[in-house]
Amino acid sequence: MTKGTGREQEMSDDVVEFFEELGRRGHEPLLAKVTGRVRFDLVDGGRTDRWLVAVDKGDTVVSHQDGLAACTIRAERALFERLCRGEENAMAAVLRGALVCTGDVELLYAIQRIFPGPPRERPAMRGAEGSR
Amino acid sequence: MTENQVKILDGNTFVVSDERGDIEASLTDPTGLFSFDTRFLSRWVLTVDGQRLSPLSVDDLQYFETRFFLVPGTGTVYVDAKLSVIRHRSVANGFHEELTILNHDDKPAELTVRVEAGCDFADLFEVKDAVDKKGSYSTRLDDRRLVLTYRRETFSRSTVISSSQPCALDEHGLTFQLQLGPHGSWKTGLDVVPEVLGATEDGDTEPSLAWQARRPRTNMARNLERWLDQAPRLECDWEPLKTTYRRSLVDLAALRFSPISAGRHSLPAAGLPWFMTMFGRDSILTSLQALPFNQELAATTLRELALRQGTGIDDFRDEDPGRILHEMRYGELTAFEERPHSPYYGSADATPLFVVLLDEYERWTGDTRLVRELEFEARAALRWIDEYADLQGNGYIAYQRRNQETGLENQCWKDSWDSISYRDGTLPGFPRATCELQGYAYDAKLRGARLARLVWRDPAFAEALERQAADLKRRFNRDFWVEDGEYFAIALDADGRQVDSLTSNNGHLLWSGIVDKTRAKAVARQLMGERLFSGWGVRTLAVGEGRYNPIGYHVGTIWPFDNSFIAWGLRRYGFKEEAAQVAAGILEAAEFFDGRLPEAFGGYPRSMTKYPVQYPTACSPQAWSTGAPLLLLATMLGLEPVGEHLLVDPALPSTIGHLELLDIPGRWGRVDAFARGRVDTSVPARGRRGR
Repeated sequence: MTKGTGREQEMSDDVVEFFEELGRRGHEPLLAKVTGRVRFDLVDGGRTDRWLVAVDKGDTVVSHQDGLAACTIRAERALFERLCRGEENAMAAVLRGALVCTGDVELLYAIQRIFPGPPRERPAMRGAEGSR
Repeated sequence: MTENQVKILDGNTFVVSDERGDIEASLTDPTGLFSFDTRFLSRWVLTVDGQRLSPLSVDDLQYFETRFFLVPGTGTVYVDAKLSVIRHRSVANGFHEELTILNHDDKPAELTVRVEAGCDFADLFEVKDAVDKKGSYSTRLDDRRLVLTYRRETFSRSTVISSSQPCALDEHGLTFQLQLGPHGSWKTGLDVVPEVLGATEDGDTEPSLAWQARRPRTNMARNLERWLDQAPRLECDWEPLKTTYRRSLVDLAALRFSPISAGRHSLPAAGLPWFMTMFGRDSILTSLQALPFNQELAATTLRELALRQGTGIDDFRDEDPGRILHEMRYGELTAFEERPHSPYYGSADATPLFVVLLDEYERWTGDTRLVRELEFEARAALRWIDEYADLQGNGYIAYQRRNQETGLENQCWKDSWDSISYRDGTLPGFPRATCELQGYAYDAKLRGARLARLVWRDPAFAEALERQAADLKRRFNRDFWVEDGEYFAIALDADGRQVDSLTSNNGHLLWSGIVDKTRAKAVARQLMGERLFSGWGVRTLAVGEGRYNPIGYHVGTIWPFDNSFIAWGLRRYGFKEEAAQVAAGILEAAEFFDGRLPEAFGGYPRSMTKYPVQYPTACSPQAWSTGAPLLLLATMLGLEPVGEHLLVDPALPSTIGHLELLDIPGRWGRVDAFARGRVDTSVPARGRRGR
């Protein structure tokens, strides 16, 4: 996976913004049936950035804690940035081995609902682009 | 698929080989070991002293195991009949093969036994469409294992092959040098194990997806036994029906599929070999057919579909909020978003049918807990009907794919290119609002209203749904009714004009209840008339229509699943004898297929062919064909949950004689149903009776 160069700072902000926005919302109806902790390990070279999302029947608390979680999702940070922008499909990334999930799979299914859909003005279908 | 292929399966893992047990797959042919929509073995050839073997017999023990009895040499004259070879193969995580060689001679024998192995790691879609691979292959020999790997970026799939007996390994297979004493024997266990989502790493403390994909199987023989034990017992005078019933139960067991998120629970996959995965439409309709016999399939189907319900708008996947998925896949093309199946949502009927199944499930089981658990999803599904499916802006569900490249053109069950046509055979443009979708929507609203009142405690929502349903029914009976033919048009085209051919979809309309009572008789008369009813069943498209072809996929063949819902529909409007006649035709046809109904058979008149002509299809067994005899049984018995009780109101063909269905499960515990055949199905019922 290569990373955007000039937009690097901006891209990182997409991740921070995604988690901060989730935390600000406080309650996410799409997670109303979910209770559990999901940890995101975002790998950026030698660094791993951790976000812990604790969900209690849809009430979400987001932190940088390093605590135990029922489900851990590990990915390259660049891939996760694309997920936050809706440019990447989480379940396809899992099948590709680019998003690695350990623990409770149901939590993975539940939590992937909160990623945004693709931008509507997407010019071409993924398959037609022919490059990744 | 050729006649002498041997198939064994468990969930989405299956092996297709020739009758020697060998696999020599070309890119376009579906032989091999498949798991999670990927081929994990495309070459598996056994030789003894360089010679191929000949089959003496194949013993299909169970759907998950088989035994090949072989002798060395090919052709009609066996070179050496003093040796026999037995391959006993069973599906597990991948497959396990017990290879036994027997020396029948009183002299010792020295043999070289070789198993050639190789893999192309084709995505099932590639096998269907012959697409080239983009990644790279590697082979590794370690200790006593041969590891074949395919890699493309982070995507990795491996096959690990090992033997319990010592052997020489090379990149293309395993070689055994044997010395057998007089009348001696030798045996080894061969294991072929797929690594689905990358190998599990030793450092992993938590179970990964890869680990869960390889969850250990319980004893499969005992599992099947328990499955059969738990199903209602059928006793009847007509022996073929007992055979068909047992075949259906066993095939349904074989078609059970557990998505990784479902743990030990399973739902019906659509069919072997192309469709061993979750399909919204197929899994729901099969669960509905099987409800009187097994209720866990429905519960798992509802839960798993709910878990993957659409939440956003995604054109590539034809996804909308609230939409229920069409098809889920795990292969390479899906992983790289070259196909939209992660999951793909292009189905216009699965969403209303999801609500229909939830309600019918509650009526049978009284499981209000699940109805409460899925309230959010059921409401989202009902919202989808009004907010996202009304593509023509006229208050009807219609479909038009947004993924023009790999999406589905026809998003109803008749999904082939020419299935929806005007009388003159021309095809309408898009969007298309097919009639049965409106029926399902009507039914979903009424059933949603019942659940809103009973479980969600929201009478205002219930009243709103009932108002919408009544309005939909009124408009539908006005807009879809073909005056000069006295039936409902198959669709409205983009201009709101009737697509006016006469089709089996009319039966689904009866099932959903959207047909005005005053028109039911005319509809039943059409269904049982000579243009639609062949004597075996109701044709997909009526004789005389422009595109009618008795062996055309959706334009003249007879689909057992279609007929099972048509029979249910006829009963719903009181046409008991007509329902019995449809049931009799399909069940009599089943006898010609040893109890395993095909996906479809020819629409030729019964009087002409005397036997049902199978449509050459690649899928068998197929889930909703497997479910058809079950629903037909329930329909003939008139099984109907009413409150805490099960109503039994039989109308049975006289050819069946006496029939007992014992231990029918439900909210009442277990009850028995008894019936005696009194309906004479030798004379055509033509919509004479009924309310």
